[in-house]
Amino acid sequence: MNDDACERVVVRAWQCAVVVVVLGVWEIGTRVPWLAQHTVLDPFFISRPSLIVARLGTWMTAHGQNSLWPHLAATLWATFLGFVVGVGTGFAAGLFLGQSRRVAAIARPFIVAVNSLPRIAMVPLITMFFGLGVTSKVVMAWFIVFFAVFFNTFKGALSIELDTLNFCRTLGGSERQITWTVRVPNALAWTFASLPMAVSFSLIGVVIAEFVGSSTGLGYIMVVSLSTLNATDMFVALVVLGAVGVLLVFLIERVERRLLHWTPEFQNRL
Amino acid sequence: MAERRPALELRAVGKTYPGTPPVVAVGDVSLEVSAGEIVTVVGPSGCGKSTVLHMIAGLLRPTTGEILVDGAPVGDRIPPRLGYMFQKDTVLPWYTVRQNAGLSLRYARTRRADAARRVDELLALGGLLKFGHLYPYQLSGGMRRRLALLMTLAAEPSVLLMDEPFGALYTHTKTRLHAELLTIFRRLNQTALFVTHDLSEAITLGDRVVVLSGPPSRVLLDQPVTLPRQRDVFTLRETDDFIGCFKKVWHVLGQEFRAGEPEHVEARPA
Repeated sequence: MNDDACERVVVRAWQCAVVVVVLGVWEIGTRVPWLAQHTVLDPFFISRPSLIVARLGTWMTAHGQNSLWPHLAATLWATFLGFVVGVGTGFAAGLFLGQSRRVAAIARPFIVAVNSLPRIAMVPLITMFFGLGVTSKVVMAWFIVFFAVFFNTFKGALSIELDTLNFCRTLGGSERQITWTVRVPNALAWTFASLPMAVSFSLIGVVIAEFVGSSTGLGYIMVVSLSTLNATDMFVALVVLGAVGVLLVFLIERVERRLLHWTPEFQNRL
Repeated sequence: MAERRPALELRAVGKTYPGTPPVVAVGDVSLEVSAGEIVTVVGPSGCGKSTVLHMIAGLLRPTTGEILVDGAPVGDRIPPRLGYMFQKDTVLPWYTVRQNAGLSLRYARTRRADAARRVDELLALGGLLKFGHLYPYQLSGGMRRRLALLMTLAAEPSVLLMDEPFGALYTHTKTRLHAELLTIFRRLNQTALFVTHDLSEAITLGDRVVVLSGPPSRVLLDQPVTLPRQRDVFTLRETDDFIGCFKKVWHVLGQEFRAGEPEHVEARPA
């Protein structure tokens, strides 16, 4: 076993140890009456790992009203739509505004103004406009994703070297051909680089929208748990949400690496 | 037999940038390059070498004088059979070596089979045939420069402009590229105007060396290089002919370097 592999094993072992200790203290501490009464280890507020796993199992096997799956599907579907629409429009806007410095200069103050609004401030308005369904969630996710992707693409589109454009012009490229062979791939590279961020932003947007006005989704489960003061339900939703977030980012990073295989940075990354 | 027209002709070309006071970048440059000839241009930095190349390429408009490429005056557009190799790395990182080499053929909408054959020829010419499937980041600095050269040659330019193309390379890489460039250019009977700040490079490659003055630039010296056209670049610099030519040009160039660095002159104790 070489040093690298050895080091990886040690890191993994420590990570496992941390998880075991945290879960152990949580599980055992909440069973000690004195600790439950006098410290933060009160199962009423923080539940208990065994309860959470049991509840998760119940929800995963339940049918109808109590099933986890429709809620998970609702959140994922809205996240996917928000991601696709946000990335698509963000890319298009970034590429378009990045084509010309004049257009960029005209648009800049408006973009900065809209972008400086706290995202959450828009939730009530969006819910009022688009109702309690999937549309509100998608619009909310789009609103966050769009700006993240847009700024990245915009910066990338403006960063293109004038020499590269002139070089391609001397090779006989028309402006249209140069758009397709130089500007679009260059901008896409920057868009791809923002995809992992975009997917977590989309998930955040959807859950926020579900807090405010929705009757489905993981965010909805959390709000209901709050009104019934049910910590176990709340933690189940959090655990699922965390797992979904990690999984989505992992998947998108693989896609990103695939799409950007021609950039050297990705060759040496873990 | 009618006298052959020069492939490239500059007639009293000048460039003045508006301002207070107006900046005269290029004073009065007249120059002729015959077909198949390699003319190298040296001068102190900021002498307007790049400005001259940009004007020939139709990327900048001269204030005075006239430029003819293939006997046709250059207007606001890039002359159709003009190649331009920049100092910056201008290969497109998202395309493979093959795709890059064939970019101008793609722009010209060459038939696929013809383009493939032509790219094979080019890559063989530049010694990159084995590397056709690689992406630019996988190439060395010297190979990337060779690829950029092949990209310009693919369009079969009647005149090739080169703006310090090997400026960023190590001496050994540079010397090998000089050997290859001479071989390729002789075989294609390529006409070129090659700008550099390196006098050894200028003599190694040039049939003639032109010395430009500091701004406002004009031609100080137009020196034929009295070396055989078939040269061994690896031993060339040891020969008396090379050293004789170097002395002759340096006699003019060195004085120009002295004049062009006022801050150093002032810093010298009286």
